[in-house]
Amino acid sequence: MTAIELLSRGPGRARTSRHPAWRGAVAGGLVLLIMAGAALLPPAWLDLDIHAVGVPPGPWHPAGTDSLGRDVAARTLAALSVSVTVGLTAAIASTAIALALGLAASMGRGADHVVGVLTELVLGLPHFVLLIMVAFATGGGTTGVIVAVALTHWPRLARLLRHEAQGVAASDYVAVSRALGRSRLWVARHHLAPHLLPQVVAGFVLIFPHAILHEAGLSFIGLGIEPHLPSVGVMLAQSLREIIAGHWWVALAPGLGLVIVALAFERFGEALRQAAAAPGGTG
Amino acid sequence: MRLLFAAALSAMLFAPVAAVTARPLVLAVGGEPEGGFDPITGWGSYGTPLFQSTLLRRAPDLSLVGDLATDWTLSPDRTRWTVTLRDDARFSDGTPVTPEDVAFTYNTARDAGGLVDMAGFEEARVSGPHEVQLDLSAPRISFTSRLATLGIVPAEGYGPGYARAPVGSGPFQLVEWREGAQLVVEPNPYWHGGEIGFDRVSFVFGSEEAGLALARTGQADLVAVPASQADSAPQGMTPLNVETVDNRGLMFPMRPDTGQTTDTGAPIGNDVTADRAIRVAINQAVDRDALVTLALAGHGRPATGPADGLPWDNPQGGIPGADPEGARATLEAAGWRDADGDGLREKDGLSAAFDVVYPAGDSTRQALALGVAQQLRDIGLHVTPNGRSWDEIRALMHAQVVVMGWGAHDPSEVMNLYHGSGAGAGYFNPGFYSNPTVDAHLEAAERAPDFEASLPDWQAAEWDGTTGFGAKGDAAWAWLVNLEHAYWASDCLDTGARQIHPHGHGFPITHDLPDWRWTCEE
Repeated sequence: MTAIELLSRGPGRARTSRHPAWRGAVAGGLVLLIMAGAALLPPAWLDLDIHAVGVPPGPWHPAGTDSLGRDVAARTLAALSVSVTVGLTAAIASTAIALALGLAASMGRGADHVVGVLTELVLGLPHFVLLIMVAFATGGGTTGVIVAVALTHWPRLARLLRHEAQGVAASDYVAVSRALGRSRLWVARHHLAPHLLPQVVAGFVLIFPHAILHEAGLSFIGLGIEPHLPSVGVMLAQSLREIIAGHWWVALAPGLGLVIVALAFERFGEALRQAAAAPGGTG
Repeated sequence: MRLLFAAALSAMLFAPVAAVTARPLVLAVGGEPEGGFDPITGWGSYGTPLFQSTLLRRAPDLSLVGDLATDWTLSPDRTRWTVTLRDDARFSDGTPVTPEDVAFTYNTARDAGGLVDMAGFEEARVSGPHEVQLDLSAPRISFTSRLATLGIVPAEGYGPGYARAPVGSGPFQLVEWREGAQLVVEPNPYWHGGEIGFDRVSFVFGSEEAGLALARTGQADLVAVPASQADSAPQGMTPLNVETVDNRGLMFPMRPDTGQTTDTGAPIGNDVTADRAIRVAINQAVDRDALVTLALAGHGRPATGPADGLPWDNPQGGIPGADPEGARATLEAAGWRDADGDGLREKDGLSAAFDVVYPAGDSTRQALALGVAQQLRDIGLHVTPNGRSWDEIRALMHAQVVVMGWGAHDPSEVMNLYHGSGAGAGYFNPGFYSNPTVDAHLEAAERAPDFEASLPDWQAAEWDGTTGFGAKGDAAWAWLVNLEHAYWASDCLDTGARQIHPHGHGFPITHDLPDWRWTCEE
């Protein structure tokens, strides 16, 4: 993910960034394309074929076939749709955790303290180690990956939202609202929520590529999605053995697909964050 | 240190050597024992005990010949072995091997708590200057295999440190063992078995990749390689593919699901596979040759029983497979029909659907599960591959089909797999297979007067014309493939006649190490 950050930061920051809507359309379109493609994929294209083992890319198999004769292109498409589904679910859950904690922090000094300590604690642990521990504790599999990613990706966004919420809570108009007798809940709904929404959306979009990269990472080391299901991490792990035998194409399609999807969302999220940060200047 | 070793090794290999001195043999075949070289804790049950010798040994055709024993007879009631020992056997420290040593070894192994399978063994007694008696509590002909695997240790000097400094009457003696790195052995000067072709043999341990690298740089003479590399041996080496009974198959839960669970709460039973028609149809439908191509890259052969090619195997009991028409007919006749036209058969409201569980870390078994799932779809069975850890499989194996593997030079494995008394016990019979007729055949085999005479009974247990555990009978398993173990061997090495290898890739190849020879003049 460092590479992704570098890729999206380097030149992108210096130039005037493109409109978030454009990048959003690219990222959203990509997801739609993957989901629709995977849904329309004839199941027979994912079958084993002993007569087409280790075939290099060609007209019949645009991305070649693997050691079990499965079409790599079709399998990559199915794998990306699994990754996107896992990534979306985990990112939504993670954002929800961050939002709940961010709002809770604005409820009082004690709550704020607890949220602060919790956030620092999770941030202090090595990220991937925590991910492995949670995935292992939940027994691996698709559910394990979703839970692990959801439980480890909220702290950065939670810290941002907490900071933002504190700023709003300390503002004059909130003080006036409170003086006029509005409840804390009313303030949270009418003052806090509109302020936090752009940050939440940007945060969600930024968590998404991390979620799919970490899904791939967990599946790669065998703690994620079951090895016979199409998943980018699984495909990359299995391609290691094939690369030794000279079958480079087995790694190419899933690797490229993963980078493209992750990059599209990273850039979309980055644009959203800049757009959200620009007017207020608090972020 | 390893670098130093490699340098020294290269120096030895490339220095001009006088024609008489044999150069050291370097093997990278894995098999380093965790607990050291103590036969009583299980060392030597595959391959050769190396440092120890056994009472009997298996010839390349798997027949039993004497090693320490010159004569061995079973009493008429079949509970007492009388073994006469050769008088010229000596341990590597020069002391003679006595009947006391043999009795000590067997009695100690019995008391060691199941590390060696000593079921049915009662006591060993010295009965003459070169004679020992082994008493069994009940007739058990498969105990003969123990005579061929349990290495004899010296009664004097056996103790806690033995596993790290073994003294035995086998072909080799230990020079140095650096755990995780290498084992160096030299011939035992007192060995009774004849000349050994090497002054020194080194076993290099480490990863598979390290072994391949040693072979490519010419520093190892024989390495175990994965099937995918089998055919790409480097210059100066020849691929060596060894036939095995290291088999893989589908283990079926035999009981219907009645909500019953084991003591640990694992569910028992599967309504679909409890129907014999389903199990027979699977045996008929699977294209085993295609599975060999798919999962083993062609390095194997189809399996139809648990001991293909071994003397106690009964090929009559198997179904060759690749017959989807026959499988469909079997299913139709048993009432499994596709009434709603979704391509999936049903019977009395029950869908012909089940999981095939495989250990997630094993790519061969994964490929088998995927291949079988696809082949069975053609006959209207819905199979879902399911990759799990062994811990999870232990909880699933009484209720789900599991891809398992066995293969031993010992018919007691057949006993463990199929005798009703072991139903539900361990990995052998998790499907609760039990058939009184098969039990009777197996027990008759164990009561046989000698090993040869037991063979027809073992075979009848697989298929006696009307029933058996084989595919034609109860079809308790659908055996799929026998692996081939792949090695690269130096062109200068003659590894002689080889037996069919058991479960376990690597160390079993050392079984006939004392007979190996260099063939090149240097």
